[in-house]
Amino acid sequence: MTVSAPTSTIPEDPSEDRPTAEPPTIPLTPDSQRRPKARRTRAVSQERLMELVQGRKAVLCVDNISVSFDGFKALNALTLILDAGELRCIIGPNGAGKTTLMDCITGKTRPDEGSVYLVGHGEDLIGLSEYEIAELGICRKFQRPTVFQGHSVFENLELALAGNRSVWRSLFGRLSKEEAATIDETLETIGLKDARNRPAGQLSHGQKQWLEIGMLLAQKPRVLLVDEPIAGMTHAETERTAELLVSLAGERTVVVVEHDMEFVRNIANKVTVLHEGSVLAEGTLDEVQANPKVVEVYLGSGHA
Amino acid sequence: MNALATLRRMHTTRGWIAFGVVAFFGLVLIPILHGALPPTSPLAVSDRVIALLGKFSCYALTAVALDLIWGFTGMLSLGHGVFFALGGYAMGMYLMLGIGKEGVYRSNLPDFMVFLDWKELPWFWHGFQNFYFAVFAALWVPGLLAYVFGYFAFRSRIRGVYFSIITQALTYALMLLFFRNDTGLGGNNGLTDFKQIYGWPLALAGTKRMLYIATVAALCISYLLCRYIVTGKAGRVLRAVRDSESRVMFLGYDPRKYKLFAWTFSAVLCGLAGALYVPQVGIINPSELQPSNSIEMAIWAAVGGRGTLVGAALGAFVVNGAKSWFTVALPELWLFVLGALFIVVTLFLPDGVVGAAVKLLEKRAPKPAAAAEKSA
Repeated sequence: MTVSAPTSTIPEDPSEDRPTAEPPTIPLTPDSQRRPKARRTRAVSQERLMELVQGRKAVLCVDNISVSFDGFKALNALTLILDAGELRCIIGPNGAGKTTLMDCITGKTRPDEGSVYLVGHGEDLIGLSEYEIAELGICRKFQRPTVFQGHSVFENLELALAGNRSVWRSLFGRLSKEEAATIDETLETIGLKDARNRPAGQLSHGQKQWLEIGMLLAQKPRVLLVDEPIAGMTHAETERTAELLVSLAGERTVVVVEHDMEFVRNIANKVTVLHEGSVLAEGTLDEVQANPKVVEVYLGSGHA
Repeated sequence: MNALATLRRMHTTRGWIAFGVVAFFGLVLIPILHGALPPTSPLAVSDRVIALLGKFSCYALTAVALDLIWGFTGMLSLGHGVFFALGGYAMGMYLMLGIGKEGVYRSNLPDFMVFLDWKELPWFWHGFQNFYFAVFAALWVPGLLAYVFGYFAFRSRIRGVYFSIITQALTYALMLLFFRNDTGLGGNNGLTDFKQIYGWPLALAGTKRMLYIATVAALCISYLLCRYIVTGKAGRVLRAVRDSESRVMFLGYDPRKYKLFAWTFSAVLCGLAGALYVPQVGIINPSELQPSNSIEMAIWAAVGGRGTLVGAALGAFVVNGAKSWFTVALPELWLFVLGALFIVVTLFLPDGVVGAAVKLLEKRAPKPAAAAEKSA
């Protein structure tokens, strides 16, 4: 993970001598789940959902999920409710399970236990494949910008466009007027109108990040998961990204995993702190920073 | 309007003119030079040359099919000889039954069955008396095998070099199977000694010319079909799968379906090439299934230029042309030349002959249009 300069009262990393719990860089998958198994989805239990939501206007419920990698518990009975239209920041020290949580929601990692419910969708998301979850409107932006380098900016957006994704449609379908208009709109939003026909590989780092956000917009997601959006960005680019993310929330739910506290303060109305695979605290940034448990985790017990 | 837009999408005007010129040469001029001129004329195309060009066109068709999945989808198949041979065997079975009582043993059964003392046709030979049945089988049998093989391979997320190795194993396994006499396809000797196709004697110059024309036409049509696929949205998805499969998945596409489509389509084209190949060379046997044959197909595509389609076809002509010449003039040197060719291409022309030519043109006239066309 990229380490940015500590810009706030909560330092970036736990103390140096603390053994890092981050899993090794080789992509580990739980042994029992190296390969996607046949679908084994379960219907959503309505009572459980009501119990979790408790009258809130929720959109996504992560219910009690646990994942372990070779004995290391990356997520430990984690429960998280996301409200419709909110912008939520998830913070936590290295190895707290932020990325694993994203992996579980998007179907990349299958948890050992637990469920993920999308409100309005009748079955548990656990057991669906990545592309099925993406089609349901849960989209993810990775840490490193991953745009298709050889495709033009326009083609990148075209690929991302919501709609029928069958082979047949791709072979014989045509871009409709509305779809072309959506792409133009998106180009405007992300400020890449002039770069429309340039190969994405030629864009600057920040432009690639925006293009990727544009691709997520074109997917018309209900929930947008954004992993460290400002890593490696210049100051101006960071500001623009903050504006963009804030403007996106409301219509959709945006979840941001970020280290930079100043950035979090700028955008978030609610922050969730993860620690050792479960939720340590939740609330506004000020509330969270005042929480003695959070201070202890970040600074070590000696400073508390 | 829509059709026009599609044509524009596939080629620029100059591209279409170039395609038209090549197609005219292949489909009209060469057959006329072969059929209408007396053999003594300096411009005349001999029977030998037209047979050779027909054979090369089959190879070119195979290379185009391979390029669709290697150059555009990023899966290197080292087992395309399987689909080629299956198409060839389907046609070979038809030709075998077409021999009738003209065989050595004057029997209705193919010679090798008489030799093995079989009394009747095995069940899977039925229907191959019919030309259309055989042509159809030459397409669906390779297609079905590719579909089933691909379904399991892609479901298990087998990629990259592992995929190449498995396809290589597939062709080896099939070779062993076809070597057995009990398989009922002529064993070691394969199927040969054909007499006629669709009522026309194969020895006739006119039949050779027709087969040549059919092959070039199949090559042109297949090229256009592949070009249609790769210049459309499906092609962009395929290239996206090649560059970053997991990203495509997070966009909501099922990459397996796209790979399976390209893979199966490629196998069908290969089967077609095999079916056209067998009547022109007069034999099909398990040596077509040798692993080295499939590797050679990959070399054609690599030499010509991956991801260009035209390059793959060109590569097939160049490499096989060189092979024909060398194996006659300097037979002991051919394998060294092939090896050297592969090394030179890998080291100095990573994008093949066509890729290098495109780069050279861009350097001379750095137009934005050229870059756009290359990426299209």
